[in-house]
Amino acid sequence: MELYVDRSVRRWIVRDPEGNFWLLPPGEDSWRRREPFRPKEETDLEPIPGHYKDMLGLPY
Amino acid sequence: MTAERVRLDESRERNVPWKKWGPYLSERQWGTVREDYSEGGDAWGYFTHDQARSRAYRWGEDGLAGLSDDQQRLCFALALWNGKDPILKERLFGLTNGESNHGEDVKEYYFYLDSTPTHSYMKFLYKYPQVAYPYADLVDTGRRRSRQEFEYELLDTGVFEQDRYWDVFVEYAKASPEDILILISAHNRGPEAAELHVLPTLWFRNLWSWHGGPDRPTLQQVAGPGASVVRAVDGVLGERYLSCEGDTPLLFTENETNTQRIFGVPNRTPYVKDSINDFVVHGQAGAVNPEKTGTKASAHYRLTVGPGECRTIRLRLSNLVPSAPARGNGNVAGPFGERFDEILRTRRAEADEFYADITPASLDADAANVMRQALAGMLWSKQFYHYDVDKWLEERGSDPFKPNRKVAPRNDHWHHMYNGDVISMPDKWEYPWYAAWDLAFHVLALTVVDPDFGKGQLKLMLRERYMHPNGQIPAYEWNFGDVNPPVHAWSTIFTYRLEAAQRGEGDREWLKTSFQKLLLNFTWWVNRKDRTGRNVFEGGFLGLDNIGVFDRNATLPTGGYLEQADGTAWMALFCQNMLEIAAELALTDPDYGEMALKFIEHFLWIASSMAHLGEDTGMWDEEDGFFYDVLRLPDGRAQRLKVRSMVGLLPLCAATTFQGELGAKYPELAERLQWFLVSRPELYAAIHDPMRPGVAGRQLAAILDETKLRRVLAKMLDESEFLGPYGLRSLSKYHAEHPYVINAGGQEYRVSYLPAESDTGMFGGNSNWRGPVWMPVNVLIIRALLQYYAYYGDEFTVECPTGSGRKMTLYQVAEEIARRLSGHFLKGPDGRRPVYGGSRKFQEDPHWRDCLLFYEYFHGDNGAGLGASHQTGWTGGVARLMHLFGTLTPERLLEGGKKAYFELQDRAGVVGAASGR
Repeated sequence: MELYVDRSVRRWIVRDPEGNFWLLPPGEDSWRRREPFRPKEETDLEPIPGHYKDMLGLPY
Repeated sequence: MTAERVRLDESRERNVPWKKWGPYLSERQWGTVREDYSEGGDAWGYFTHDQARSRAYRWGEDGLAGLSDDQQRLCFALALWNGKDPILKERLFGLTNGESNHGEDVKEYYFYLDSTPTHSYMKFLYKYPQVAYPYADLVDTGRRRSRQEFEYELLDTGVFEQDRYWDVFVEYAKASPEDILILISAHNRGPEAAELHVLPTLWFRNLWSWHGGPDRPTLQQVAGPGASVVRAVDGVLGERYLSCEGDTPLLFTENETNTQRIFGVPNRTPYVKDSINDFVVHGQAGAVNPEKTGTKASAHYRLTVGPGECRTIRLRLSNLVPSAPARGNGNVAGPFGERFDEILRTRRAEADEFYADITPASLDADAANVMRQALAGMLWSKQFYHYDVDKWLEERGSDPFKPNRKVAPRNDHWHHMYNGDVISMPDKWEYPWYAAWDLAFHVLALTVVDPDFGKGQLKLMLRERYMHPNGQIPAYEWNFGDVNPPVHAWSTIFTYRLEAAQRGEGDREWLKTSFQKLLLNFTWWVNRKDRTGRNVFEGGFLGLDNIGVFDRNATLPTGGYLEQADGTAWMALFCQNMLEIAAELALTDPDYGEMALKFIEHFLWIASSMAHLGEDTGMWDEEDGFFYDVLRLPDGRAQRLKVRSMVGLLPLCAATTFQGELGAKYPELAERLQWFLVSRPELYAAIHDPMRPGVAGRQLAAILDETKLRRVLAKMLDESEFLGPYGLRSLSKYHAEHPYVINAGGQEYRVSYLPAESDTGMFGGNSNWRGPVWMPVNVLIIRALLQYYAYYGDEFTVECPTGSGRKMTLYQVAEEIARRLSGHFLKGPDGRRPVYGGSRKFQEDPHWRDCLLFYEYFHGDNGAGLGASHQTGWTGGVARLMHLFGTLTPERLLEGGKKAYFELQDRAGVVGAASGR
């Protein structure tokens, strides 16, 4: 699983082990409320170190 | 016995945790490899100083004049604000490698004035400008300057004009191992009254946010007698209280990343790492938590101080509830009664007593101050170093056991490593990571005050959590797989002998364990760095950065490879050190006798390979009387690279005397050695004859026979070559007018004498071995000269300096070099300290001139400090030299041999006879 930030939408983006992208909405328990995300060609995903996964409560 | 010595004993014998709290905070956690999760490994660019105030660290913490517990769960440090700066001064600022014309460099003035080895007393000084700190000017000017220009220093910016600055002293005194008194004294050195915000800050290292972290600890304001009190609660540490004198406001936030500022994503909590900064500097009233709780808290003092005046703040960090100290505090309730001042005075006096006890009586007041500040710097340079490489690789998607992993930019093969210990750093700002060969030299100085700590440091590097399974000792975090000179065994036998003399018996179990691990390391060297199996070694740059004409860590432009005089000399010394250890262990355990014999023979193989003459091109150049690296070309040709450098002096260092105890105890071993020597005379035809007895029947293992020794010494002691006014230069001054030039691959490569900073970007352009004086190699040469003296005695004299007509014994030569090295720091007849070069402020101002900085290396001609400014690290070795020549005499050395110096130690460090006490 990989974690990114998309500064243009000011959101965390998760790529799960199957390769699906998810956008995390603000607030608590954001993984449960994740929304599908489809990066566009111009989307700039900035990698975030893995230790932030715990801070965001991700299950991986 | 001094009170501090009692604490050291209690720490060792009864596990009284006197060293649990110490100056273990780094001075720079940003810009380090361990905080770097970038794809390309740009540590400086990934986590910047600008981010540091807003971004939680993963692996450690930094701060100003701070301290923490030995697992760095709870941290304390100072933050300041002069009302003009754009940010709080929470940490030291400096330029990154790319921002400065000579590599990374801290741009602050701070001094480690004092510390005892248990940190029962410590004193730190920070000089804070009253005008706005020139962050942008330093970066812009540093970037603009060329490598041929000087660095742009903070004094050059003019912010200290008219003395408009604060001297902020921070003193720590331990009432008990868990009860720490803190005194902050702010002196206004300027001509007008000024205001200073002082924010003593307590925070928890963020462990709770990351994988498998514990529950979040808490800080909370509680009521206290005559003080504002923060209660800190942590699952492991328990409860602590920071009492802040008076009714000062307490500001609370969380040690959490400001994700809005760093990543552009809204924060989950309004209280983040830089909230106190925003509250104080930007007046954002809602930035701090009104509930007075969090994981980071500051007391906010606003001091207005008249010109030339001083204000103080008292604090106490303790495991006792604040009302408890009142019982032993006279008639004043709370933590700040008369007892506070009394304890502080007592600890200061005990520090004086401790240093008076270990300082040779022959040192005058200035020299004693130099020695004490050198040791204080060593002690302040301890740091909690945390780096779980496996976890770090996993967090960056480079888990070594997962398919489809990314290759990490560095340390990919060191996933066995888990470091989480207090380690002596070379420089807590410029080099806030351990470096294996530096550490071996650090131990030399640290053991002047704390042999237990020194021993522990050596042990650490050999543990399974550090040493690679293949036997390599980790070099440093930029590339653990780099190769450093193998000096660990030397430091080990030195430390063993010191402790044995001080305690009446050595720690043989430790020595045995060390020997086994060092044996792995020795074997790693033999199997990895001797390409042809001919006992000549490579090793790459081997710590001497730009000393060669080619980058010795890179593929050679000529093709082929180098046989390195230094690599081979280091291995000869390594052999001697292993022989010494084996011989010592064999005195009680016959099994080690075999190993001693093995290392005698191995030394002879290496030494003879190095010194051999004949048809093949060897490292010794008979015409020049000097050793050089040999370039082996792909077509089979070979040539010496005739750069006259420290590389060619290092063979001199492989010299060790032996008293013959082993042969006396085990005649059978002596016979086998005799048989070997008699049957292989060619091995020592070109080196010192190991069978020839010297003074008191001693034997000498050395690469250089007397003829070669005299020839090398003639160059080494020539002031127009190596012998500078402040020690031995890393490159002969001969190359000032005679650059060494070689053409390869259509390009010209050149080595010239450069006494100051490097003029190339080789190895980051941050150090220079083409002329400056470096303490560690000088120390090794002094050691070797004393070995030669113990063997040759007073009959062996040389001209020193060469051509002067002045004859000296090798003891006198060693002492002369040590005198020149100490001369960097001591006031000369003109009252000036060479280390401070042309800086009038440092040379003349009474508030500056006795505050010492121990630089990384020194100008080869005038002694000015260069490179890292707080590398007390191996430069702190000057304390050992001052101690050695303040206690040892040539008579004692001739009488007692190499153990003479150790036998002069008593439990306090110095015995009366030699020092006149």
